Amino acid sequence: MDLSRAGNTLITRENFLVVELDRFQGPLDLLLHLIRQQDVDIFHIPLARITDQFLAAIQTIRSDQLEGAGEFLEMAATLIRIKAQMLLPRQEGEEDQDPRAELVRRLLEYEQIREISSRLKTAEAERARRFAKGWVPARPRPEISDTPLETTWEDVWEVALMVELSDPAGRGPLVPTRSVTMEDKIFLIVDALAEKARVEFSRLLCGFEDKAHAVMTLLAGLELSRRRELFLRQVTPFSELWLYRRREGDETSLTEGGDPALEEPEIPHGTRRRPAWMPPEEEEPEDPLAVLDVNLDALDEDTVGPETT
Amino acid sequence: MNITQIVEAVLFASDAPLKAEEIARADGSLDEDIVEEAIRALQDQYGDSERSFQVVELAEGFQILTRSEFAPYLERFDTVPRPSRLSGPALETLAIIAYRQPIGRIEIEYVRGVACGGVIRTLQDRGLVDVVARGEGIGRPLLYGTTKRFLNHFGFRSIDDLPRSEELPVVLLEGIPLGAEEEDVVTTEPDHG
Repeated sequence: MDLSRAGNTLITRENFLVVELDRFQGPLDLLLHLIRQQDVDIFHIPLARITDQFLAAIQTIRSDQLEGAGEFLEMAATLIRIKAQMLLPRQEGEEDQDPRAELVRRLLEYEQIREISSRLKTAEAERARRFAKGWVPARPRPEISDTPLETTWEDVWEVALMVELSDPAGRGPLVPTRSVTMEDKIFLIVDALAEKARVEFSRLLCGFEDKAHAVMTLLAGLELSRRRELFLRQVTPFSELWLYRRREGDETSLTEGGDPALEEPEIPHGTRRRPAWMPPEEEEPEDPLAVLDVNLDALDEDTVGPETT
Repeated sequence: MNITQIVEAVLFASDAPLKAEEIARADGSLDEDIVEEAIRALQDQYGDSERSFQVVELAEGFQILTRSEFAPYLERFDTVPRPSRLSGPALETLAIIAYRQPIGRIEIEYVRGVACGGVIRTLQDRGLVDVVARGEGIGRPLLYGTTKRFLNHFGFRSIDDLPRSEELPVVLLEGIPLGAEEEDVVTTEPDHG
């Protein structure tokens, strides 16, 4: 934009005015401010200087505020046009007015409007100190329709009796607890199955009182089952749920009847079996190229189509 | 029960300014002049007995309002309706409409130098201006004017209560006496008064 050059020359040449554009209600407001601040006679506007200052002031318009900038830019164009007209020689006989005339008229009119609006503000404040008889419109009330109750009071009573109120004295202060993650529960199950061939679901919940742990443990069990890491087994509804370890390559499900745990080979204590899909726990590759290799391998596997290399 | 009391009762019961002719409808024996005379009597009465309220001429009518010195006490109550103050752009736009009515949006925007559509709509929603006519020309533009609520909001009796443009320090001149463009000479402002 050519405006930038005009602004820069001003900073070196003239006493630069720092203007906060947000304070102004529009280009006329800004222009009037520039004129009044420098005590310039509005009938003898030094157009070149004022135009430069105006252009410099609107430099601060950022590109994300362009919505309101159009009016300032339009005024900038008007100023430049008037400046150009001033430079052109005018013929004596021409009826044409001074090119600044309309601008000055607008500025004076705007200044007058500003004076009026400040008087209106005073009148408004004065009027606001006098009160008419208090009258507040009634708040609209939401319509409440009479819906018949589908539940009898006996039902409500019955349910109410079943509610056990916990002892308020025994309730400790509420402290937000750490959220239960599925990852923790997966490790819990995997660790448990590393030592034993099978484990009861209830045993996995030992030490955890919050229901969220039970829910997350079940979800972790289901997840591992989905990933073919273990079997879930429950003989009858509401009986104990068992989680069975599953060996690699073991595709056949356990036969009904005899105790499957006995058939499982004993795994030495402490040996961790990590699911293949899990990322390594501590060993992070230090060489970035190593990561790259892994990624490239994965990419090759996934890529369908003719090889390009 | 006398005429002054009847007028007082009507004024007391009203939540908006009432014209004298409207008050006169309360009884067949009343007319505009009698009502105005009664109002003057009430104003004297209230003044003599130092009441906290007055009968105020407002928005082409009359209404009982509290005296402004009691504002600090009343402002503490939520039940007292209080209109919110207008913003700077709203006041400017309203000033233009008040002085130049009926006036269209384009003309308002030319005077202010900025877009005013949103401000006009807000003023219209608040009942301070309304469409009073349609202009000639392309699209027959809507022309706006001020309302009674505008008068009430600013405590004016009528539109004539607005400050006259002759009284203002800035005066619009018919022919603008433009001097030469003086680049560096700072002249003092000529006296237009």
